[in-house]
Amino acid sequence: MPSATQSIPTKTAIETQIVSLLCQQDKQSIKLIFDYYGAALLNVISRIIVDRPMAEEVLQQVLIKVWNNAATYDQQRAGLYSWLVAISRNAALDKRKTRDFKESQTSKMAIEVVALENKLSADDSLEKLMAKQLLEQLPNKYRLLIDMSFFEGYSHQEIADKLEVPIGTVKTRIRTALKHLRSFV
Amino acid sequence: MNVKEYIESGILEKYVAGELSEQEMLEVERVAMQYPEVKAELEELQEALRVYAKASDKTPSKDILEKSLLGIEKGEEERFMAVLNESDDEVKIKRVNVIPVWSIAATILLVISLGFNYIFYSQFKQTKERLALLEQNNSVLAEKASNTEQELAYAELRVAHFMSEDNIHVRMDGLEISPESFANVFWNKKSNAVFISVDQLPEPPHGHQYQLWAIKDGQAPIDAGIFDHNQLVQELKVIKGDVRAFAVTLEKEGGSPIATVDKTYVKGFI
Repeated sequence: MPSATQSIPTKTAIETQIVSLLCQQDKQSIKLIFDYYGAALLNVISRIIVDRPMAEEVLQQVLIKVWNNAATYDQQRAGLYSWLVAISRNAALDKRKTRDFKESQTSKMAIEVVALENKLSADDSLEKLMAKQLLEQLPNKYRLLIDMSFFEGYSHQEIADKLEVPIGTVKTRIRTALKHLRSFV
Repeated sequence: MNVKEYIESGILEKYVAGELSEQEMLEVERVAMQYPEVKAELEELQEALRVYAKASDKTPSKDILEKSLLGIEKGEEERFMAVLNESDDEVKIKRVNVIPVWSIAATILLVISLGFNYIFYSQFKQTKERLALLEQNNSVLAEKASNTEQELAYAELRVAHFMSEDNIHVRMDGLEISPESFANVFWNKKSNAVFISVDQLPEPPHGHQYQLWAIKDGQAPIDAGIFDHNQLVQELKVIKGDVRAFAVTLEKEGGSPIATVDKTYVKGFI
């Protein structure tokens, strides 16, 4: 994981490296996919499987599927991310077929933004500490939107319903939130 | 295409968040390939979210990765075992890659073994054929020997009858029916037993048999017995009295009480 202070490798470089490792049947590729795409894929899965431990179980299966289906990946046809998203969605849909997942999201989502300084623990690296301090400057309402859209599997429509604002506003606010975020990192 | 508008539309955020369909995602990737600005925007967006995820503990638990890697290793083990157990084509190719040395060695040994098998089998086949031929020759010889022995026994018996001083010997020659035929009768003076040696008579037609008759003056021919058409000197009936001649007629199987004179094949006077 590159830090804000290091020179950030381009997405293309990371993607190329992962695809190349995957083709060579190097398990390092799975580690990199987990590091770079894990959170995003878990978000995709959460859109279908609300229950967090179950969604994590699906992500685990997705990584195994990625490894087993590495040979079918066609770089010319799709980017690595869209391929990974497709596998994740299929795995999540398969999982949903196996059991009844009609759990309400409300029970899970008591939206609380815990002050970041309270979450600091001994294993936090200096790099992470710095990032956290930076994030403190990000207003809570933006963090909430980023979390819901990128990490908790809410669609824009669901966010609009939840926060009781028009969907257009949700889109604008997410963009604004990301602009803020990018100004920090 | 207005790049700025495209970026402002919020589609890149949706791409990253997984809000788009697969087709829409592919479209975004195509646009990013074409417009470096879009690509840069997308990369920055993803990078910012990664940093955010790490700083705010949004990254998934490392346990997930570890369990996945364990699952992958387990899968590999299972596939390896499957290679050893199954004979799937694809798997077979892998098998050669995994253990090529002993499989090549085994193949060479198999070829050598097959070669020897062929040689030994050919030799075995030849030997068997020779043995069968020898066995056949042997049985032919045995049969010949047996026939010869029997012929010798008959001949000895005939000679013994000829030599015996107790015997009256009568040679019967062929008549008009069968001029080439002949046979001999030995009449033992002590026991009065009559013997016949069938030397040359045609094979009797089916359902017929030869019969020997003793002929006395002023009487009808006396039945001296029926006999088989073989070379053995056969003992027939006991005939007493003043016999003038012996004759052989062809009768129906089982013989006849009255001689069919016009079917007389051979006849000889004492």
